Amino acid sequence: MSGRGVDSGGKVSESAESDRTGGPAEQHFCVRLPNGSIEEGPVVDLRNPTRSEPPALALTRAIRSGCPTRRDAPTVHASPPGRTHAHVARLEHDTTIRTRPALVAAAADLGVETSHDDDLAAALRALRALSPAPIDDAELREARRRAADAGAETDRLRERAATVRGQVTALREAAVDDATHPSDPDESLAEAEAALSDVTRQLSAVATERVAAAQRLRLLERQARSARDQRNARIRLEDRVENCRRRVRTARVATVSDAFDAARTELRQRIDHGALADCQPDLLDALAVARIAPIRAPVLVDGDLADALGGPDAAFERLRAPMLIR
Amino acid sequence: MLLVVTYSRQARETLRNACRSHEETVVRRFGRAALLRETEYGAFLACRLRERHGGDVQVERTEPFNEFADAPESVREAASAYENRESPNTPYDRFAAGTAHPTSDAMREREL
Repeated sequence: MSGRGVDSGGKVSESAESDRTGGPAEQHFCVRLPNGSIEEGPVVDLRNPTRSEPPALALTRAIRSGCPTRRDAPTVHASPPGRTHAHVARLEHDTTIRTRPALVAAAADLGVETSHDDDLAAALRALRALSPAPIDDAELREARRRAADAGAETDRLRERAATVRGQVTALREAAVDDATHPSDPDESLAEAEAALSDVTRQLSAVATERVAAAQRLRLLERQARSARDQRNARIRLEDRVENCRRRVRTARVATVSDAFDAARTELRQRIDHGALADCQPDLLDALAVARIAPIRAPVLVDGDLADALGGPDAAFERLRAPMLIR
Repeated sequence: MLLVVTYSRQARETLRNACRSHEETVVRRFGRAALLRETEYGAFLACRLRERHGGDVQVERTEPFNEFADAPESVREAASAYENRESPNTPYDRFAAGTAHPTSDAMREREL
């Protein structure tokens, strides 16, 4: 396993403690500014009243996306940002942070292992191996429509047949009564009998169609049902994956929360509150996250904040993160 | 009633939302299934779910089960006798052996 160990109490172990910041090589970076000048460091102070600094957004974008960049944009060569970086990419007076996701990311970057990792991996493997049979929804819909149409048509013809049969019966009875005057009734009777045989033929054809349509629908529904059994398995697995992820996140946060609290307490004491009028809780959280996570790509630190931390070198010492100060 | 069962996370989410906003049409809600009232509006909701999620939505039309009309007397009597058996640990087939009650296999094979 390449990750760092966690002891049974759910803490980052000693070996992790010693190398949890990115090593010096990992924290080295260089930045090329649009004016052509190149600065190197784990700490680069861009504050210079004689030249214009690139906007903060251009810098964070350059850190995130690496090379190549446009000629008029700054370029940063640095280690790829880890998962935590996005949470602490800009540290300034009004920094906001979602602390819990940031701690989850920090623990992930630290390589923290949890007792739920294997469960999660197994659930993900099972989910990948599952490919539910497709359900041809259009075909099913067509089969439903055909069955319904055939049913309605059968009912209509059945009614019509009953009516015509009634007419035929009436005409036959009339013909018997008027046997002495064979005239119009005969003709009407022949017409009605023709109509009856016609409607009977249609009815039998439609009834056959109805049976066929019903059979076809039953078959497709049976297939859909067995395909749904697999979908049932899939949604259960998806839920299992989600539950595992939740447990992994909780365990990760639990693992780093002591270190985070300690870093936060220490940073609060070290910040020169004279230089930084009021340090928002979010900023303090972000600083503590940066401190405990292995930050390899530079973060952008506000000049006043760097001063409040005791100047560029002291700020680097406190946060253990490569930084661009502006 | 209309029984709507969903088979994907998205379909389940849509059903949950539909149930939340149309409580008057929902008779009962289960995890990822719901019983809808048999009104045109219930059908409207079922059709919408089917339209959006296709094969991930199953819609069945249910009706109350009347054991006196829908099940043979032998089955009713077997059920009643078994539920009133003297020793609660006897499995059904041992209970039915040597009596006039149908075996479980025989009942499995016969459609209602």
